[in-house]
Amino acid sequence: MIIPLLKVTNLSKSYDNIVGCKNISMSLYPGEVLGIVGESGSGKTTLINCLSGNLEPDRGKIIFNINNKETDFLNISESEKRKFIRTDLAFVHQNPRDGLRLNVSAGGNIGEKLMSVGYRHYGNIRSLATKWINKVEIDKSRIDDLPITFSGGMLQRLQIAKNLITSPNVIFMDEPTGGLDVSVQARVLDLIRSLVNELNLTVIIVSHDLAVIRLLADKMIVMKNGTVIESGLSDQVLEDPQQEYTQLLVSSVLHV
Amino acid sequence: MIEVKKVNKSFTLFNQNNAKITVFKNLNFEVNPGEIVALKGPSGIGKSSILKMIYGSYIIDKGAIIINNKNIATLSAQEILKLRKTSIGYVSQFLKVIPRISALDVIMEPLLNSGDNKNNAYKKSIKLLKDLNIEKNLWHLSPLTFSGGEQQRINIARGFIKDLPYLLLDEPTASLDSRNRDIIINLIKAKSNRGVSIIGIFHDEYSRKKLNVREIDLNIETKH
Repeated sequence: MIIPLLKVTNLSKSYDNIVGCKNISMSLYPGEVLGIVGESGSGKTTLINCLSGNLEPDRGKIIFNINNKETDFLNISESEKRKFIRTDLAFVHQNPRDGLRLNVSAGGNIGEKLMSVGYRHYGNIRSLATKWINKVEIDKSRIDDLPITFSGGMLQRLQIAKNLITSPNVIFMDEPTGGLDVSVQARVLDLIRSLVNELNLTVIIVSHDLAVIRLLADKMIVMKNGTVIESGLSDQVLEDPQQEYTQLLVSSVLHV
Repeated sequence: MIEVKKVNKSFTLFNQNNAKITVFKNLNFEVNPGEIVALKGPSGIGKSSILKMIYGSYIIDKGAIIINNKNIATLSAQEILKLRKTSIGYVSQFLKVIPRISALDVIMEPLLNSGDNKNNAYKKSIKLLKDLNIEKNLWHLSPLTFSGGEQQRINIARGFIKDLPYLLLDEPTASLDSRNRDIIINLIKAKSNRGVSIIGIFHDEYSRKKLNVREIDLNIETKH
């Protein structure tokens, strides 16, 4: 019996009278990619913000089980929580400018992240950073340049490198290809997919683009008005949706 | 062995006046190791639906589909993922891949995902590409730029690269010329000789005959 890496039970969060997400329960296993879809305002971002420690939920349980060590995420001290977020979780923002410091060099952005988990040797940091710059297909001659000189696609790849370099156990991605034009989207998708396979990453990815979910996610959940209305294998939910709203969503996709 | 037991399947189309389409009632059949079963019947009768139910892409309303002593109808998502990885190969009608990934990488991926080493996966994939008569200058290009027949062969390669005990084939010989069709037929035969249980949809009499299939006529099986 495999133990889920992440188990969420009856998670709820509201903003005054407005429901953010309500009674969410789900499990994620090591190496799985979970897609979250739903219209804007359906609670997708609230949910991943609660799971990644950016928001404090009102009720519910979040249990991480990493290397047989159980972490009751909502019942640990603030300092333990910060350390856990730093070492075990990563968050890739839709807008790479939210996840990077633009006035610090590309290498510096990555190096900072390594230092936050205890790396001190400059030579090691530099060589790891170079390796990752290369891995996300940025020319290593750009390592000392400021991110403001990078294109949108490069910025997103740099943000991905920064997040993955410390080998986090769960990676959250909020519309990682959302702000990119289509040709760049394919490249970033390809990159995420190959890294997921190569490093056996566990990922929770929010996207309104069903094609992105289909190509990246093993499992998916569909949200509406703050609740999960349907969940299952991605191909099953997309090919044989059981709920009226999911059918509407799937049938609304334009095919080129 | 694959056992399909008393399976019912229908679709409810909420956005089209809640129309309910019943595809099967009380569908029963089984496929033994080494056997090739061909699903037969006119377009729309549900041949692909059967493959999708076995693969777990379609929900089973009622009844059971047993593979490796496990009932697909009651497995959780991660149990189905695991069963697919270890046991079931599926060749869909059309190739679905991320743009930019080369044909070689597309074929190697299932091996690498199961922990095979890169060198081994590379060798196996190259051999299959050669067997399938895919020209060398295409190996490092994205299959999305290929002709229909070439795409179909890449799709088959991806489904055949691993040694899995069950194979589901949705029109594997469609859109192929006669020479390439014969190549695929021989690959399917080789799988069958190794004891793989195969369910397929074959549009042409020639393939069915060459493969010595057992036909299941859905016109008769689904009369209700």
